Amino acid sequence: MRDLHLSLMIATLLGALGMWLLLPRGTARGRSLGAVLAAIALGLISSQMPGLGDWIANSVFAVLSVVTVVASACTISFRNPVYCAIWFGMTLIGVAGLFLLNGAQFLAVATIVVYAGAILVTFLFVLMLAQPEGKAVYDRLSWEALISASAGMVMVGILSMTICSVFCTPAAVDSPVFTTPSAENLAQGVLSPYHVASFGTELFGRHIIAIEVVGALLLAALVGAAVIVAQTKKIPADSLSQKSPRPLGATNVVVPQGEGFLQLKDR
Amino acid sequence: MSPEVALLNNYLIVGALLFGIGLIGFISRRNLIVMFLAAEMMLQGVSLSLAAWSRFHNNFGGQILVIFIIAIAACEAAIVLALVMALFQRRGQLDVSDWQTLREENQPAFRDQPLPEEAELQESWPHLAPAGIEPEVPLERTNYRPTV
Repeated sequence: MRDLHLSLMIATLLGALGMWLLLPRGTARGRSLGAVLAAIALGLISSQMPGLGDWIANSVFAVLSVVTVVASACTISFRNPVYCAIWFGMTLIGVAGLFLLNGAQFLAVATIVVYAGAILVTFLFVLMLAQPEGKAVYDRLSWEALISASAGMVMVGILSMTICSVFCTPAAVDSPVFTTPSAENLAQGVLSPYHVASFGTELFGRHIIAIEVVGALLLAALVGAAVIVAQTKKIPADSLSQKSPRPLGATNVVVPQGEGFLQLKDR
Repeated sequence: MSPEVALLNNYLIVGALLFGIGLIGFISRRNLIVMFLAAEMMLQGVSLSLAAWSRFHNNFGGQILVIFIIAIAACEAAIVLALVMALFQRRGQLDVSDWQTLREENQPAFRDQPLPEEAELQESWPHLAPAGIEPEVPLERTNYRPTV
């Protein structure tokens, strides 16, 4: 027990240092050291994870989780936002594999289709549209890298310590609170061969009203995005720096005047 | 320890790692789009934990919640990307600190520290053998960008 807490604490410390060195700080110095420290922290955390039974499940889980975590660390530490987006795609593929390993087939496919196929490609579109020339200063500097890295890793440390001390102690596992599902029950339920069919029955049976609400929400988001884009006008940069107090309650809508402000009228 | 408990434990830890790394990215990065990617990563961490709980309890509720998370993330992406385009058209860059006039009163303004000079890496681009006469393209035409 003390061993577990000690190694997780060391992992938190090393992970915070490693993430601080990996985040863009203006220099590229220390990035490889940061990668080594973060890898040691990841190894320390994974050394505290219990085995899954047979070695095939263990190795599949190890590969998928290492791919996911390393790609997510790369997502936030690369300086070029296009690389960040591509590493995020790698994270999504790892997460989809973890879903599959967990028996959530539909979620794995939905993650690939919706996230990697739609959201990520839209991101890349916007990156292409909105990428200033040359290397941007704001991509090479971070806000308070050390403090944020410590905050995030301390949160990871607290969470993993809590999780491990709940599940990894014999007293906790033997208590009647943990009714682990038997293989027969799982084969009837979540892991059944008709997983997607029973998932759909559940989704469109018990949760049909929530599905309708989400559909309405998607429509509202669509309309909202269209309205935001249509209101976008070309406003000269110097007019924004003037301090003209806006009357209380005024909305963002500026009446177009003079030359055609609306993008549609430009043509 | 039974394999099911071990599986739940490992998935929760991987989910916590994804959430924490996303948190670090959201706090520290300054590019609007990378911040949003980090927020999506936090959602992924939560989704992993929910799917693991769903298997542990042999109940579809967790997975259905993940479906709703995906739907909300799609809405969020549409709205945020429209907003990012609007912000970019006003300032010409994706920096969050451009919008620091929105900060609370009595807070000091953030100033960029001077960026230390860095030796440029020698990039090797693929070299094409020249063929024909190179057309003259005026530089102002290639560099012209109407919105910036």
